Amino acid sequence: MPSKKTRRWFILGVALVAFVVLIANTGLWETGLRFLFPGETTVIHPRASLLVLVWEHIQLVAISSGITIILGIPLGIWVSRPSGRDFLPIVTDITSFGQTFPPVAVLALAVPVLGFGLMPTIAALFLYGLLPVVRNTIAGLHAVPSDLLDAAYGMGMSRLQALFRVELPLSARVILAGVRVSVIINIGTAMIGAVIGAGGLGSPIIAGLVRDNLAFIIEGALPAALLAILADQFLTNIENSLAYTNEPV
Amino acid sequence: MIRLEQVTKRYGETTAVNQLSLEIGKGEVCVLIGPSGCGKTTTLRMINRLIEPTAGRIFIDGRDTATVDAEKLRLSIGYAIQSVGLFPHMTVFNNIAVVPQLLLWENNRIVRRVGELLELVGLEPADYIRKYPSQLSGGEAQRIGVARALAADPPILLMDEPFGAVDPLTRERLQAQFIHIQKEVNKTIVLVTHDLDEAIRLADRIAIMESGRLVQYDSPEIILSRPGSKFVRDFVGADRALKRLSRISVKDFIKPAAAVNVNQPKKEALASAAGHRWLWVVDDDEQLIGWVDTKTLMQSVSTKEAMDEGDAVKISILESATLREALSRMLELGFKHIPVVDDSQRLIGEVALGDIEAATAEGKG
Ligand SMILES: Nc1ncnc2c1ncn2[C@@H]1O[C@H](COP(=O)(O)OP(=O)(O)OP(=O)(O)O)[C@@H](O)[C@H]1O
Ligand SMILES: [Mg+2]
Repeated sequence: MPSKKTRRWFILGVALVAFVVLIANTGLWETGLRFLFPGETTVIHPRASLLVLVWEHIQLVAISSGITIILGIPLGIWVSRPSGRDFLPIVTDITSFGQTFPPVAVLALAVPVLGFGLMPTIAALFLYGLLPVVRNTIAGLHAVPSDLLDAAYGMGMSRLQALFRVELPLSARVILAGVRVSVIINIGTAMIGAVIGAGGLGSPIIAGLVRDNLAFIIEGALPAALLAILADQFLTNIENSLAYTNEPV
Repeated sequence: MIRLEQVTKRYGETTAVNQLSLEIGKGEVCVLIGPSGCGKTTTLRMINRLIEPTAGRIFIDGRDTATVDAEKLRLSIGYAIQSVGLFPHMTVFNNIAVVPQLLLWENNRIVRRVGELLELVGLEPADYIRKYPSQLSGGEAQRIGVARALAADPPILLMDEPFGAVDPLTRERLQAQFIHIQKEVNKTIVLVTHDLDEAIRLADRIAIMESGRLVQYDSPEIILSRPGSKFVRDFVGADRALKRLSRISVKDFIKPAAAVNVNQPKKEALASAAGHRWLWVVDDDEQLIGWVDTKTLMQSVSTKEAMDEGDAVKISILESATLREALSRMLELGFKHIPVVDDSQRLIGEVALGDIEAATAEGKG
């Protein structure tokens, strides 16, 4: 009898395979979209195959989320330490500001500095996804009960040992939840990259908007939505596997 | 072993600990007690430098702790707190293994040690090592907390209300186990409590504190018989004579008891009474099964017929009991003598009410 956990991963694996098969099968899309929009002359965006578009999109999200995680988690940790506590208000202000700023505006500001293409898009996505990661890291560390830290230091752990052996494991789920939110936001926001030529699933959508072609829009939006669901499930599974009792979750 | 010299801790205006000097010998159990907020926890945490004193010095084995690296110092001092503080993301095994792992012990040695410790605190290793703290009862968690504090065999143990968070019955059991464990490991222990009975039961010496100051530091017997101030007298309460009894084991008060075998003929039984009005009745295994009134016996056919049956557990006390328990049992049953039995309920002797009174009177001076 497979455990609930294995079953979840199995379902996710099946969904992933189904997703790849679906986006690789251009013929199927063509037939489907033609059936829905018999009036359009072209229903598939000609720039690149759907597989390539999805791949570009994943790259955009992976790179920007990667940077967000690599910088965001240490930033959250640092402002939770005595040495960085003074910067806590500034950091939370800046990250919330980063999120209230419309991504298109970030692009507009970034293009003169970073040029067109990948770089400004990644910069915008990074800024945009930073808040949930930093905020959850701070919240997760803050929620570690003080008596556990007392026990940790009392037993002779150094600050670094207490961080890695006690604080981070205990806040891992909360931090990962922040990562999940950030990645999902980025999958949606990465659409705007197409405006300045970063490619991805935004391309057919922009083209569809420009040419008033609903088929193109669906070609971009549907895989993006599926991608978001898959990413959400993937990260949720990781979160659940961090639950620290062997009771059924 | 541990020496505090004029130790003071101030937090702004408040003085949590005020010029406290205290010396704790090797293998001694020192219990810090006093009203809430009197500075017990602060004192304890200054010993392992979780709190740095504002003034004064603390020596362990003659070395000023301020000159030792704080983390190294703490690795050599066991620490158990009221809330237990087991790490919820670690199994029982990993919780106990924390300090040995920090000390980079070999894995085999850690496994062996964790097994030993679980047995020491009375938990079956195989049943517990894989459990998580959320799967333990309060009492089990406390015991794991003690095992964790003992993990690297530190010579010193600091315990802040270690039995505070459990029900009275479990607490009593844990205290009994504490005494048993301490006999085996013989650590130097500083224990904080606000339960006087616990202090009397566990301490070699009790340090009574009042708003940051040490007001008396003596053995429980002396604290109870000769409180040094009105504060201490009030603190130990009006029933201190009774409390003193809980420090005295019945062992030294056991006298031979008049007893008959249940199958002994009436004549022999009456002969062995030798002036006693009451006789304890035992079976062929020497186990206590009741008592007999010689007056009734004279009018009956046999010992068996005349006997009042009684459950040994209810009508006797164990030889490991205290005089306080003996007295309480006597009052409950209305006896002037109480039989003492061993673990298998075999009659050893009896304790007389008069002797308990005498013991109470002795301490009055
Ligand atoms: N970090 C702190 N900042 C300011 N005051 C403190 C701090 N820690 C303790 N105090 C004060 O110092 C005094 C002694 O505190 P401590 O915790 O040692 O008391 P305690 O004897 O352990 O009490 P309890 O029995 O309630 O645990 C209290 O008045 C407390 O308010
Ligand atoms: Mg306290």
